[in-house]
Amino acid sequence: MSHIIANNNHSFNQFTIINDAFDDESKIYEWLSPLDPRVRHHDIRSQRMDSVGAWLLETGEFKSWYASGGGDESNYAALLCGGSPGVGKSYIT
Amino acid sequence: MALLTGCEPSSLVIDKLCDEAIERDTAVTCFYFDYAARKEQSPTNMLGSLLRQLASRFEQIPDVIAQEFRNQKKLIGGRGPQISGILNMFQTVATTMRTFICIDALDECAPEHRVVVLDSLAQILRGSPNIRIFMTGRPHVRCEIEGRLGGAAIFIPVGPTEGDVLRYLRERLRKDTMPGVMNSTLEAAIMKVIPEASSETYAEERTMRKLLESTF
Repeated sequence: MSHIIANNNHSFNQFTIINDAFDDESKIYEWLSPLDPRVRHHDIRSQRMDSVGAWLLETGEFKSWYASGGGDESNYAALLCGGSPGVGKSYIT
Repeated sequence: MALLTGCEPSSLVIDKLCDEAIERDTAVTCFYFDYAARKEQSPTNMLGSLLRQLASRFEQIPDVIAQEFRNQKKLIGGRGPQISGILNMFQTVATTMRTFICIDALDECAPEHRVVVLDSLAQILRGSPNIRIFMTGRPHVRCEIEGRLGGAAIFIPVGPTEGDVLRYLRERLRKDTMPGVMNSTLEAAIMKVIPEASSETYAEERTMRKLLESTF
């Protein structure tokens, strides 16, 4: 019987420790920023049609930007897609 | 072993980058600027959000972040993260894996905030060859980006292709909630007139842009 209690105590302590770790993590995330852009992600994703804008991924500029990095000396660390309001920029982000 | 937290499927480029993140140690972070949310989308909150997403890519929050959190909490009343601290933490953590930052609608960021954001991104790039930044915005932000990021930025003009417009129209017609009022003549007219009008509008815009570029 005492063995079971001891085990239960052990489990309880473990549970408490895990909960503390999660509490700390969520506090740190909240401290870093209250903003979570994933909601906006899902809104846009749900409205975008597959394959619309796919031409962008085939451009030389995109391929060069995407393939570079990892220590090479590419000048193009940043890529800007510019266009007027309503042309669908958010859907290609 | 990294997790894929914070990398749920999103739009086109983020989808593409997340595909790679499954195969390799890659982090994908993003931020959507919104004119209506300018007040809360301060540079500190925006850059902190990118770091928050990067941190969530790991099974445990990286030590450099946990330590900074503890240090700031010791100060009177606790203190929020500072931009210099966020940039240092971001660079330290990003050295361990290839990191993408995707920013939508940079033009919707308040001008005084945009200066700080772009200077911060420039600082991140200078210290981290592993980082790549993807941005969208109206054409006028191009000058600011080129000015702040120097030769690090490349520009692609964006507009719908005729194929994009046709695919979009077909999908909208397929989901028509009032099919009873549609007929083949009207459908054919829609499929002809709208792509033509869209193409002309974009062609005019491209011509205007070229004229402006050659003038200034």
